[in-house]
Amino acid sequence: MSTLDARAVSKLYALRGIETWALRDVTLAIEAGEFTALAGPSGSGKTTLLNLFGALDAPTSGTVTLDGTDLSLLSRSELAALRLAKLGFVFQAFNLIPVLSARENVEFVMELQGVAAVARRERALATLAEVGIAELADKRPLEMSGGQQQRVAIARAIASSPRVGLADEPTANLDSVAASKLLDLMERLNRERGVTFLFSTHDARVIERARRIVRLRDGGVVADERGA
Amino acid sequence: MARALAEFARSLVRASTWRLALRGLGRQPRRSAIVLVAVAIGLGSLLVAMALQYGLVAQMAETAIRTEIGDLQAHAAGWKDTAPLEARLLEAESLAALSRARELAGFAPRLRGEALAQSPLASVGVRVLGVDPEREGSVSTLSSFLHEGAWLDAPRRLAIGAGLARRLRVAVGDKVVLAVQDVRGDLTGEAFRVAGIYRAPSRELDEAVAILRLDDAQRLFAVAGEISELAFAARERGALEAPRAEVARALGPGVRVETWRELEPMLDTMIALFDQIGWVMYAAIFVAMAFGIANVLLMSVLERAREIGVLLAIGMPPARMVAIVVTESVVLVALGVAAGFAFGFAVIFALRDGIDLSAFGDGLRAFGVPTRLTPVARSGDVWAPLAVAVVTALLASLWPALRAVRTRPAEALRKA
Repeated sequence: MSTLDARAVSKLYALRGIETWALRDVTLAIEAGEFTALAGPSGSGKTTLLNLFGALDAPTSGTVTLDGTDLSLLSRSELAALRLAKLGFVFQAFNLIPVLSARENVEFVMELQGVAAVARRERALATLAEVGIAELADKRPLEMSGGQQQRVAIARAIASSPRVGLADEPTANLDSVAASKLLDLMERLNRERGVTFLFSTHDARVIERARRIVRLRDGGVVADERGA
Repeated sequence: MARALAEFARSLVRASTWRLALRGLGRQPRRSAIVLVAVAIGLGSLLVAMALQYGLVAQMAETAIRTEIGDLQAHAAGWKDTAPLEARLLEAESLAALSRARELAGFAPRLRGEALAQSPLASVGVRVLGVDPEREGSVSTLSSFLHEGAWLDAPRRLAIGAGLARRLRVAVGDKVVLAVQDVRGDLTGEAFRVAGIYRAPSRELDEAVAILRLDDAQRLFAVAGEISELAFAARERGALEAPRAEVARALGPGVRVETWRELEPMLDTMIALFDQIGWVMYAAIFVAMAFGIANVLLMSVLERAREIGVLLAIGMPPARMVAIVVTESVVLVALGVAAGFAFGFAVIFALRDGIDLSAFGDGLRAFGVPTRLTPVARSGDVWAPLAVAVVTALLASLWPALRAVRTRPAEALRKA
């Protein structure tokens, strides 16, 4: 059983009467422990596929499963619970909660998971230290640089101990040094904690760090390359 | 559904729900402040209006009770269906029966009749009210209205209102003849000297009543030792059932004991009507308030679509999202209500000496309305708006909360 499995998945967007197929008949399985890049130009369907795997959106046709659970059979609340238990998200625009500090952003997911206050505070500080920004624990997102915010986003994603990390263009708003450090971190989490990573990118520097590269174009998979 | 409600209830007591709600409100302080001020002014003004309205009604009731009616009255059964002199009680027997009453602050016998008051220059139809000058003070404030002269200080003296004096064109010391039909049906009359002229708070008492000593009235109407009514002052205005029962027991069958509400059903209806109007005013204010709050919350939800999308994406239960929006609404309303109470009660306190309406005195006296209007705040003025505010806060937040919950995370993030 694959960790993430999309079978014959299509997604149609209709905006003001204009219909656009974002994905067409995509079948893709991601196994546990993989470090996979979804590569392709803008509009190729990378983000849409990530959203479907992340239970953030529903396909127009086809099925998406997470650890064998068909996501289309779950209610909003059940999907939220599934995301909370198994998934960690890193977004291109960081998407931290602006009214919460770095520590509170990281703590919030754990609070939703029911982790006790003292334990989640300790774990949040430890995770921020792990991503190298312990000193920014009490800063709010607007007081941090893009790289620092992305590290908080990573800390938030991994503090909840997810089985799968989904990252949408995680390095798009970072300079090359910050991007490299972020990839180092993701690789370490994949290697040491066994977190399955699936990330979208069109950055060649990122693509070459992936162990598996799934190339998309015009909503379809055009290549599935596995490295060493 | 039950699970969602349980999650909602749990979320309401979580610190992070309050943190997100409070910081969410703080993000647009000017907008939150405008709503808060609107709620405060609306509620505060309503409190003042209600206090003035109740003050007016309470003073009207107080005036009616203390001027003439009393808290309770006892009459011979069937008194309402007969002429004033036909239903009578025995004075001495009644007073003796009431001598051991514990629930009463005072009682006074009275005799009522009708007469034609004649002066050398005019004739006016009047109501005659015979009172025991000593006992009457324990029930009514009639003597306190004396403006000129003395209060029934000797036999064959009467007190009349300034209005009646004007109509009869008489002054203190002048003679007035009261022509009556006595209890036997004989036309008779007697001359009285005007001992005092009073200014009463009601036009009827001022222009159409002649007050005599009880024994003078009994002689005039040929009903020696008999009275038309007994008026009572209770120890507590709000608890009339015990004194009513005591009076009924003391006077025995054949006597009807009624409270001021039963004696003045119009006044009672007016009080009830004002209460109803109060609720309508509350409803109007709070409906307007609900739309204002819903508008602010909805704008806030729409502006935070991306943030809400993120919260839902990272696994926040929809019920928690509802709890955050409801908490924002409750906080906004609670602050507005607190400020409204502070504003309203400050104004009520500032008006504690009353508003002088003497410029409208004549018109107001016609309705028994006092010329100094004092606001009266009741406990209901606190609990009623508080209860309505809580309901309003919840209802106002429903629409924005549902809008927030319906946010599709992918769509919200894509718009970002």
